[in-house]
Amino acid sequence: MSIRVNRLIWYALLTVIVVLALAPIAWMLTTALRPETEIVTTDIHWIPRQFTVTHFEAILSDYPILRWLFNSLFVSAAATLLVLVLDSLAGYAFARMEFRGRNILFMVILSMLFVPMQVTVVPLFILFSRLQLTDTYWALILPVGANVTGVFLMRQFFLSIPSELEDAARVDGANALRILVSVVLPLARPALTAVAILTFLSTWNSFFWPLIATRSDEVRTLPVGIAQFLSLRAGMVQGQQSIGQSMAGAVFAALPPIIFFVILQRYFIEGISRTGLKG
Amino acid sequence: MRILPRNATTYAVQAAAAPRRQFPTALLFVLPYLILFVLFRLGPSLAGLAIGFTNWQAVGTPQWIGFRNFEAMGRDPRLGEAFRNTVGFTGVIVPLLVVLSLALAIFLNRPYRGRALGRVAVFMPFVVMSTVVGVLWTWILDKDFGLLNVYLSGVGIANIPWLVSERYAMWGVILTTVWWTVGYNMVLFLAGLQDIPGELYEAARIDGAGAVGLFRFVTLPMLAPTTFLVIMLTIINSFQIFDQVYVMTSGGPGTATLTLVQYIYTTSFQFQKFGYGSAVTVILFLMLVFVAFFQIRAYRRGLQGVE
Repeated sequence: MSIRVNRLIWYALLTVIVVLALAPIAWMLTTALRPETEIVTTDIHWIPRQFTVTHFEAILSDYPILRWLFNSLFVSAAATLLVLVLDSLAGYAFARMEFRGRNILFMVILSMLFVPMQVTVVPLFILFSRLQLTDTYWALILPVGANVTGVFLMRQFFLSIPSELEDAARVDGANALRILVSVVLPLARPALTAVAILTFLSTWNSFFWPLIATRSDEVRTLPVGIAQFLSLRAGMVQGQQSIGQSMAGAVFAALPPIIFFVILQRYFIEGISRTGLKG
Repeated sequence: MRILPRNATTYAVQAAAAPRRQFPTALLFVLPYLILFVLFRLGPSLAGLAIGFTNWQAVGTPQWIGFRNFEAMGRDPRLGEAFRNTVGFTGVIVPLLVVLSLALAIFLNRPYRGRALGRVAVFMPFVVMSTVVGVLWTWILDKDFGLLNVYLSGVGIANIPWLVSERYAMWGVILTTVWWTVGYNMVLFLAGLQDIPGELYEAARIDGAGAVGLFRFVTLPMLAPTTFLVIMLTIINSFQIFDQVYVMTSGGPGTATLTLVQYIYTTSFQFQKFGYGSAVTVILFLMLVFVAFFQIRAYRRGLQGVE
């Protein structure tokens, strides 16, 4: 009896939690799908009386939102690939090879975890200006390749797997790169997945540096485009667009990661609980 | 047949035991990363800290002015506001997030069907990018037509001016941030909960512990490392809050939601005061170091207490 009551309370609470978590996302979707007259009203109804896609059409014709989306996807994917290659190599060297200065070098790398990225922003801006690479993909991708957590996570993972297999491969005459690629990395899939997801998410989400480093729509990423052109805050110069259009833009930006997450949720949650670190 | 693998193993063990100096190979492995690290992380970090001691204003040559930027901070009321807002935001959101995400983790760790759905739902806001979250919540928190106020007026609470009044603006940002990040912290706590061996609960139950006792004497102490991690990450991220504020209020009204990073952004990139802006990043850096130092000490002491 009491177990049944417990269970009933649990399900009631679960319903409340799920509704509270998802309601804002649902509200964004249903706002985007109704005419403006149904938006600016205190008469709340969740299902639009009249469905319309005009906000989506307006967003697509007035803003290069597909270009921003492509830029975000491209930059995030390229940065993730770069991080996986660089951090596997470096992490493996720090875990398995002996060389002079290894520990000091590793400590220097780790110490950068304490330095907030805002410290680096003025020098980065100057550096990319001198290289004439501001407002290019390079400016958005290369700094991600210098991330610290990926190297740390890969090293920790390599340390946790037994080295017998590598020794056997070495006896067979394989060189270090060959051992890493064909023996170690296949075992490291959980770590690679975690690093990939963290890097992709944090690059996809990254706002401060892309806001500073990009000026043109050819390079501008989705978070920056949304913030600069679809913000609803009072006093926005560009705030000509309707609430419906802003929500349509928000749906555009929110749906791809939500779909990805629903399909790959197991890896997301594993990746984060394994590492507990944002990229 | 049996001799060969044994020989191979012995050889491998010897090979592994002998210290191998692999300088050229190791260098090739580390170098690609190291080049990017030095160019885009280590170098800019050191340069950024150094620029904080100059009067550089985008044009002209930077001049070394010692601690004068830091002295000027004392006469900068806007910076004081930004500092107070940032620390205040952190002070509110850390306990809020820790309690809420821990409660959700414990709740969604119970062995009922449907808990996976709950976890996915609570985590989902976190995969939405911060600026989109900001745009969405600006609409939800709208004073006249926002979803929240319309519902609140249904229970007799009329028109709270969430983002447009000095009194409530920061609370609007806090509410938004809690919704956005609570799932992330919950996942960390769930991982911590799953690492607690079930025998501990059984033993405590045999000793007569009730639900409260189990929580207090098993769950909480065993979760200490996770709690430490969550607090640490939340403080670090809260000190750097920017995206939501930029999108929702741009620091206003007045200076009600002006945060340190927002201040850094406007100082360095709108007013081109690279020197002074960098000096403020030095303060942010010191705040993080202070927190890390303090937390590591508290954590060590906590561990000694447990042992």
